[in-house]
This record gives sequence, structure tokens and C-alpha cells, in this order.
Amino acid sequence: MKRRFTAALAGLALSALLVAPASQASAADLVIYTSMKEALIGPMTKAFMAKHPDIKVDHQSAGAGKLMAKIAAERQSGTILADILWTSEVPDFYALKREGLLEPYVSPNAKDILNPLPDFDGSFTPIRLGTLGIVYNTRFMKKAPEKWSDLFEKKNSPFGIANPALSGTAFVSVFLLSEQFGWDFFKDLKKNKAKMGKGSGQVIDDTAKGDLLACLGVDYQTFSKIDKGAYLGMAYPPEMLVVPSPAAIFKNSPNLEAAKKFIDFMLTEECQKIVAENGTLPVHPGVKVPAKYNLPDQTEAMKRAIPIDYPKLITSKQATVDQFTEIFGKKK
Amino acid sequence: MPVMKRRSFGVPEMLLFLSVAILVIVVAVPVLLILYTSFFVDGHFNAGQVMSILSEPDIYEALLNSLFIASGTCIMSTFIGTLFAWLVVRTDLPYKGFMKTLFLVPFMLPSFIGAIAWKMLLSPRSGYINILLMDLFNLEEPVFDIYGYGGIMAIETMYLFPFVFIQVCGALERMDPTLEESARISGASLLTITRKITLPLMAPSIMSGALLIVLYSMAHFGTVAVLGMENGIFNIPVLIYEKIHQSAGSFDSIRAGTVMAAVLIVSAAFIIWLQNKVLSRGRYQIIAGKSFRPMEVKLRGLRIPLFIFCLAYIGFTIVLPTVTIFLVGGLSTYGVDITWENLSLDNYKFILFEWDLTRDAIWNSVSLGLGAAVITMFAGVMISYVIVKMQVRGKGILEFLGMLPFSVPGSVIALGVILAWSGKFGINLYNTVWIILVSYIARYMAFSLKANSAALEQVHDSLVEAARACGAGMGQALKDIVLPLVRPGMFAAFFLIFLPAMRELTVSIMLYAPTTRTIGVAIYTLNEDGETVLSAALAGIALIIIVTGQSVIKYFQNRKAG
Repeated sequence: MKRRFTAALAGLALSALLVAPASQASAADLVIYTSMKEALIGPMTKAFMAKHPDIKVDHQSAGAGKLMAKIAAERQSGTILADILWTSEVPDFYALKREGLLEPYVSPNAKDILNPLPDFDGSFTPIRLGTLGIVYNTRFMKKAPEKWSDLFEKKNSPFGIANPALSGTAFVSVFLLSEQFGWDFFKDLKKNKAKMGKGSGQVIDDTAKGDLLACLGVDYQTFSKIDKGAYLGMAYPPEMLVVPSPAAIFKNSPNLEAAKKFIDFMLTEECQKIVAENGTLPVHPGVKVPAKYNLPDQTEAMKRAIPIDYPKLITSKQATVDQFTEIFGKKK
Repeated sequence: MPVMKRRSFGVPEMLLFLSVAILVIVVAVPVLLILYTSFFVDGHFNAGQVMSILSEPDIYEALLNSLFIASGTCIMSTFIGTLFAWLVVRTDLPYKGFMKTLFLVPFMLPSFIGAIAWKMLLSPRSGYINILLMDLFNLEEPVFDIYGYGGIMAIETMYLFPFVFIQVCGALERMDPTLEESARISGASLLTITRKITLPLMAPSIMSGALLIVLYSMAHFGTVAVLGMENGIFNIPVLIYEKIHQSAGSFDSIRAGTVMAAVLIVSAAFIIWLQNKVLSRGRYQIIAGKSFRPMEVKLRGLRIPLFIFCLAYIGFTIVLPTVTIFLVGGLSTYGVDITWENLSLDNYKFILFEWDLTRDAIWNSVSLGLGAAVITMFAGVMISYVIVKMQVRGKGILEFLGMLPFSVPGSVIALGVILAWSGKFGINLYNTVWIILVSYIARYMAFSLKANSAALEQVHDSLVEAARACGAGMGQALKDIVLPLVRPGMFAAFFLIFLPAMRELTVSIMLYAPTTRTIGVAIYTLNEDGETVLSAALAGIALIIIVTGQSVIKYFQNRKAG
């Protein structure tokens, strides 16, 4: 009686284990590590696979910090599983390039793109220009904020910023805002009950719920929620945050040709339209973002953007993260 | 005590050899690699770096927080767990069997999902309960603030008290009631019996449950991550997680993480030493192989109030958060009001039928949970037997080895497993489901050892001796006497592993590859990505799977019992 049950259980478990590896990817698949959310990367890989039925694309979507931890662990073990990395954490790309881990590839489609990155050699190619603005809860904030200082208008209004150690867009934004307004800006925010959130998406949902009054939010993530009826608004102050998201191929990728094809594809008009339709700025100058998003176009965004001092951005990563957590990590 | 024959390679020697081999391969090698990685730089011992990592004030604060949260959680859980166990086993509380099942439900709920649900209910600005109370009583300020030590402890207690509950229930059911009866016949009052007989008999079970809670809470990531991190409350696992994700995950950070893990290992060793010291004062063999129906305490006038109290507790801690999860899972997007227009099954449909990621995750978790539970259950009963019943020198080391993975945060176990199983020693399991299976076995071995040795400790040696005296071999004695008696312990071990493995997060999050996501990973990453409604919907589906799984197992158990 009891024994039969135990045996049945063991059998069940063993058969489950034997079947499980069958669902694993075969070695020829292209693997992308990206900090882009499903809403953006999902349609892109689908469109790519429709064009190249012989290539199967798998993607792993997580914050840039997590992906780099995974890559570090994989390097220890000897093999990096990913063929392509696509995040907004620009310093990571310079660091990986310095260590000789990236395969330079200048895509023929990269000629005309808007490329704010200095020293372009094909090691990594920008795919989109992410923008961040003030995302606010429309129930609690009747009037849209217009400038960064509007965040201090109301006393005790919690403002959320994703953890710059985990989120690439948050890190670059914190760096830019601290360059522009100094660290006092963040100290004042903290005094006004600002909070450090986790991922870049989570602060947006916390704002939608009302835990936060407003937050530093990424364009396409916010717009997809507004489309679904969330009580959110997006405001771009005059000093804009524009963060390029580059993609790179790892050296020794066993799927080098497929990886190159994917980089080529990401820069095509077709794929850049997917980028634009999701409400984030494409690097293809001919592709425009739909008007419903009320997003400044590429030229205007680049003009209003807080200029990025790339050498300083790359070297001051740890200091920026430390300074930020020093201000936000302490108890209330 | 049976005297083992030496110098012959019989059943006992084989068992001993196998036990040592399993623990060394599955547990010791990864842990040693963690220690090696933290103390040796490029093959040279480097204490200076260890000291510089340890001298950071953050680490003291994290350690103090870990201890503070673990103590608070332990005290509250031990009290609640023991009280409810006594109520459902030894009193005439109505619907006891059903109530016992209900009290085990929180064990199935992933605590980080619970924390997310309670954040929805009790966050000061927008929690549903706070808004409701403020509307009802026209209050200016929110009533509850879930962010803080109190909130973290309360929520950990809600989901951890079954550790004590299961242990104490098992012991109470197996306890020989003649001891209490003889005291009663001799005129002792209920209070005296409880104090002098029941509690001392229960002490090993209560202690081992409480110890599990301290170790678990110290190494617990989810609740503190959800409720504390944003407000500057962090414990060691959260600090490790943050360190590892800083500096672009460079190897220095991983080393800093392993050094902090070493701090936890030391604390765990101390706790285990303390427990052994307490327990060694008295071991009780209170099963004599016979089954008793324990005497029930009549609650009389308190029967209905206590019943209502239990129901209210269950309603508040289980039903409310679960309903919240299911409702939020039905919303079109987070933050809109819970009204009929905003609710639909779209998220559930998307997760079950349209999204590869979630379908893969469900399948992976079910197969991994079953596999890990069965393997660990059998390995655990064997190792416990060696530890509890065999007189072997150095078996304390075995026990300590078995407890190690429990005290090391999952993320560091994962690191150790990566270091051990990624080709350096000839076998490369990295990025396959097998590496997750190996780490689950390492992580949950402690559960199995605890449950099985608790059961074994109460099997009196006289039974095996009798069998041996009647001419049965060691193997036959094991098969016919010991195994049937420890089966409840084995089943307890199975549940203790299968249910948490179903929604395991901390280990899998470090080990998953694109096609080997588990349910916990999917829920957590979706939540962190701000897909709150999808993650709530997946959590709802996970709860259904876990509850269904448990019902199936229960059904089998009842059938063979009947």
C-alpha cells in the first residue's frame, strides 16, 4: 500500500526528470541577455524568427546588474551562455570591451543611425535611445509636473528611483541628474520622502498604485501601462534624460553569423518601427514615434538631453552607486 | 544500543559510506569551494582582504538585523506553532483534521508572495486595508505601516510557523499518552502535567522547529527584500544579493558575498552547537512502536471562542492575502480599482496558454520539485539512520554537513554549486536543469534530515534488537521494522521539500537559463519588472498547482491509511 505509493512517486519523479531536459534549448540557438522587457524584446524576436526560420532566438530579460552577475558567474565557469547582450548600462559595455570579451561587428545598417556613443568601432551598437521622465499618478497629481523642481512643490510626496545597482537606466539617470543638479537634488528628494525602488518597472507599478506619487520612469514601460488604463502620466522636463541602449556580440559566440544577422535586423526599419511603436526613441532617423505618446522626436530629444560625459560615466560607476545608496539606503 | 561489528563490510558500513559520499559530494564540496573562494585569492591565503570586507559597518548592521529579525520571528512562530499544534492534536477543537490542513497552508505560500500581498494590503499610502480604515473612520493617517521590523517579523511568522507546527504535531501524535495518564491518576493537575510531562517531552521537537526557523529566517531573502530594502532595512542575504549585483557582478563582489556567507555559516554552527547542548540534556524515546489515541483535553467554554480565533487567524493570514493575489492577478493593470469592469481572466489565459516563459516555468518547477523531494527523502532517511541509530565516530560532522546548506543563503549555495558543477571537476551541469536539481538536494537535505531523525529518535532500539534476536538480518530489520515506523517522517520530509521547492526562488534565480526558469523565478522577475498583475496571476496559478499537488498526495496517503 504505502510502498506502492512511494514507488509510484519515485517513478513519477524519475520520468519527469527524464523528460525535463527534452524541453531544453539545443546548442544552435541564439541567446540574448537583455534588460528590455517582454513588451519590447518579445515582438522583436518573433519578427526576426519569422524572417529567419532557421534561427531560434531565446532571450533572458532581467535588470542589467543581474545580467552582469550572471555573466560574471558564467565567466568563472568558462563559458558565457549568451550570444548577444542588450542593456542600457553603457559602462558595462566599455568594461567588457576593455577585457576583450566583445566581438566587434560594424553592421552595414549602422551607417546612418543616430549614435551618441564615442569611439564607435562596432563592439557595441546603440539600438534605441531610451528616455526617462517623471511618471506621476494622475489621481494624486492633478497637474502634470513641468520641471524637475516641481517635484518639491508638494511636501512629503514620495518619489521613486530604481536601484542604480540593479537598473542600467536608473544608474545613468542618477549620474546625469547628479551632474546637472548636484547631489543636493537627491538629498532634497530624500527629505521629501523619496524612496529607492528595485527594478525600473517596479517603481512605475508602485506609482500606479499610489505608494509613490511619482517616479523616474522609462518611456515604453510607462506607455504600455497607460495603454492598459493605469492612472499614470508621463512628463518630460526641459532637461531630458536620454540613455542609449547598445547591443553587443560576445567573442567566441558559437552562433556568430546568426548573432550578426540579429544585430543587422535590429537596425532595420522594420525592427526600429517595433521600437517606435512601443514608445521609445529609435536610432533609425527615418522612423518616428507615434504621436499618441507625446514623446519629443529624436532631434529634439538629443537637443534637450543632458549631455553625457562618457569617460566620467564609465569611471564613476561605483562612486555614483555608493553616493546614491549613501543618501537613500539609510533608515528613515 | 546495538554494537556494530567492525572490519566487515556489511549493511551498516555500506550505509555509512553512502551517507558520507552523498553529503560530501552534494553539500561539502560546494561549501568548501565557497570558503576556499572567500579566503584564497589566486591560490594564496588572503586574510587581509577578508578582514577589509568584514570591517565594513554595513556587515555588522546586516548581521544584527539578521539576528534581530530571526529572534523575533522565532519567538512569535514558536508560540503560535506550539499553541495551534496543541489545539488541533490534543483538544476537542471542532473540525480538527480540517483545521490542521488549514494551518499547513501557509507553508505552501511562498513568503515573498505573501510579502507582496501584504504590501498591497497594508502599505501606508495605498494599502487596501489602510484606505478602507481611513475611509471608515475618517482618519488622516494610515493605521498600519508594513515597512519595518515589525512588519517583516509578522509576515515571516505567518509563513514560517508551520515549521514548529509540523514538528510539534508529529511529536504530539506519536507521544505515549500513558505518561500523562499515570501523572493524572497520581493526582497531578493539567498545569503540572503540561509543565512536567508534556512540555519536556515536546522540547526536542519544539527546539528543532524553532532552530529551523532561526536558521531559515537568518538566511531568508524574500520578505526582507520586499518590505525592508526600500527603507534601508537589510539582512545578510539581502546585502549579499546587493553586493553581488554591484560592480557589474565582478568576481570581487562574488568573493565579498562568499565572505559574508562564511559569517552565516559560523553563526549557524554556533546555533547548532547550542541546540545540541540543550538537547543532550535529555533525549526521549517516546514511541514504542505502538499506536495510541492520545487523550483529548476538553476545552469546554473556550471551545467555540478558540475555534473562532483559529478561523479568524486563518482568514486573516491565509484567505485575505490569497484573495488579494487572485484579484490583483485579474486586473488589467496595477493600480486600477478592483471592480467588475477591471477584472478578467485575460492574465491567467496569457500565462497558461500564450506565454512560453510561464509554461516552461510551471513544468520545470513541478519536475524539479518531485525529483528533489523523492531523492532527498530517501537519502535523508538513510543518513538520519546513520546519525541517530548507529554509533559511529564523527557522525556529528555528518549532521553539521547536513545542516550547512540550510544556513547558507540560497544565492551562495548557488554560487558554490556553480563552482563545483561547471566543468572544473569534469562534470558540467551549468545551464541545465540538473544543476538546479543538485542545488535543491543540497538546500533541502536539512529538512529531510530533521524530519527523519526526529522520527527515528522516537523509534526505540528495543524493536530492532528484538528483530535481530529473532534472527532477522540488519537489512530485514531495517525494512520490516524501522522503515514502516519512520514513514510518517519520510512523508513529512517529502512535503517539507516538495512544497517549498515548487516555488523556490533564491537558488533558482542564480542558476536559471532561458529555458530552465522556475515558477519562483518567473514570479519574482515579473514583479521586479513591474508586471505586478501578471506576477500575481502566476502566483495564483502556482498556488492552485501546489494545493492540487498536496491534495493528490493526501488522497494517496488516506487511501493507504484506510
